[in-house]
Amino acid sequence: MGSSIAQKRLFHEYKNLSTNPPEGITAGPVSEDDMFYWEALIQGPEGTPFEGGIFAAELKFSKDYPLSPPTMKFVGGGVWHPNVYPNGTVCISILHPPGDDPNHYEHASERWSPIQSVEKILISVMSMLAEPNDESPANVEAAKMWRERRAEYEQKVRDEVRKGLGL
Amino acid sequence: MHDDEPSLNIPSLLTLAVVSFFVIRWFFNRDDGPAGASRPRGRVDPAQVEQISQMFPQLSTRDIMWDLQRNGGSAAATTERILTGRGLETPPPSFQPQIAVPSTNAAAPQVPSTATTKADGQDLISRYNLSSKIASEKEEENSTVSSTSSWSQNKDERQRLLQKRRDEMILAARRKMMQKNQDNTQ
Repeated sequence: MGSSIAQKRLFHEYKNLSTNPPEGITAGPVSEDDMFYWEALIQGPEGTPFEGGIFAAELKFSKDYPLSPPTMKFVGGGVWHPNVYPNGTVCISILHPPGDDPNHYEHASERWSPIQSVEKILISVMSMLAEPNDESPANVEAAKMWRERRAEYEQKVRDEVRKGLGL
Repeated sequence: MHDDEPSLNIPSLLTLAVVSFFVIRWFFNRDDGPAGASRPRGRVDPAQVEQISQMFPQLSTRDIMWDLQRNGGSAAATTERILTGRGLETPPPSFQPQIAVPSTNAAAPQVPSTATTKADGQDLISRYNLSSKIASEKEEENSTVSSTSSWSQNKDERQRLLQKRRDEMILAARRKMMQKNQDNTQ
């Protein structure tokens, strides 16, 4: 019962994302046989070193979605960013349930609740790419480079963008 | 075998007493409802109301309760109704739903983190097997891509449309990046 509610909600979101896709975002289940495993493509925001790039990520939903948030992980080349773990896992407040605030600074309104959606997550991740949150680095090395050697950070990101497109 | 003669022993008497207590209590509680208000079927389960309003926060709890009450407390039927776009009926003003006490212990179990493997250094072209498409693209250089939104009632068709949008997004980005590089070197 619970999982069928999750499936229906995910199907509903999938339909909305397909008929009315937000700029620079494509997302949906890898196969409709498993609605709990999605893949998304996000375009790098313009005016940032991520511009022109496409980033693939997998989203894994639990059976009690939308009570708990999905997890999101960049796949493929990985993303050199202060808020993305070296293995690709994304760390932003919208992916944390309200009760769980490991960083002790997030507002409850920014965190996961059933009112949020896959679309809102992907848009948040897009703006996260543009504006890293320096307070809780998931990739300490990337955060350090972003803070202290910005030009080097941007060059590294640009190189990865090209690599990701097979260039 | 003569020991099996039916007799009222103490445990069976106790069971009878407990059962009749509940039966009588149920019987009286049933007539104990608000005077005059005839409630057709059982009360609405607050957990179901909460479940549905969490899925569809835009809907009023009152409407959800009304629908649940009318369909006999089937959350699936209410969900189905919302998703098929029929919407919920507005309950009559006389409808007095019981205030649902929100369960505060909706602590969701955390998804086990499988984030142990290192991201593989694979580009999108090989990930989605796009190299053949890149090759064929060179022949029809100016094939304009014009698909913006896509949905089909057919499952396989939907899958195909999603894949198409994904491939086009990657290929368009790649084309653009190559163009940019050419402009830079000239």
